Amino acid sequence: MSAQVFSVADVKQLLDQGAQLVDVLGEDEFEHDHLPGAINIPLKQLDATTAARLDRNRPVLVYCNDFG
Amino acid sequence: MIDYKPGKQAWYEENQPREGKAVDEIWIGDVAGSDVPRCGLTEMIGDIRRRIEGWDTCVVVDSKGVVLGLLRKKELDGDPKATAEQMMRPGPKTFRPNVTLQELLKSMREHEIQTNSLVTTAEGRLLGAISRADAEATLAHEQAAETRTDS
Repeated sequence: MSAQVFSVADVKQLLDQGAQLVDVLGEDEFEHDHLPGAINIPLKQLDATTAARLDRNRPVLVYCNDFG
Repeated sequence: MIDYKPGKQAWYEENQPREGKAVDEIWIGDVAGSDVPRCGLTEMIGDIRRRIEGWDTCVVVDSKGVVLGLLRKKELDGDPKATAEQMMRPGPKTFRPNVTLQELLKSMREHEIQTNSLVTTAEGRLLGAISRADAEATLAHEQAAETRTDS
């Protein structure tokens, strides 16, 4: 994991460069709202199988609710 | 893998777009008017009053647009030679853009706020303002539309 704290502008730049956005919150919360273009892999389901959906050649940006 | 530590709340607090069922909700960042007048600390009340004719609110901001204070009608009608800094109400209550219109109205009703509420990012940068009347009207319009859709 990177230790850098990314800003909204950083996130946009990464997405423009082809990064994949992964929301690790629960399905209900994801259905209610998520960042545009994000896919949902709830943290409890994150393993090699579910991560196989991701393109290994592109950066992956994961997020949850907030710093907490 | 990169961890976007601030998370989605930080994204929404910058008034960025969303997907999902929440698209059908009205968040105050969607409806706040960005044309609310602004001024700097050193501007004189008389000059501000002339510049914003027709408005009864002016938000005092710094060079980055961060809210420092608020001038309402009472202050704007005050000494024209006083500065905004001398007259402003410092640290006004602000709301984040991802607050729903219903939540805002609940707060405005509870605190008997009849005028404008300010919408800012988490860092305090002004995004806009929404009046109690506009908030009430927008919500009533939305609820009427929902009733028509349901029937």
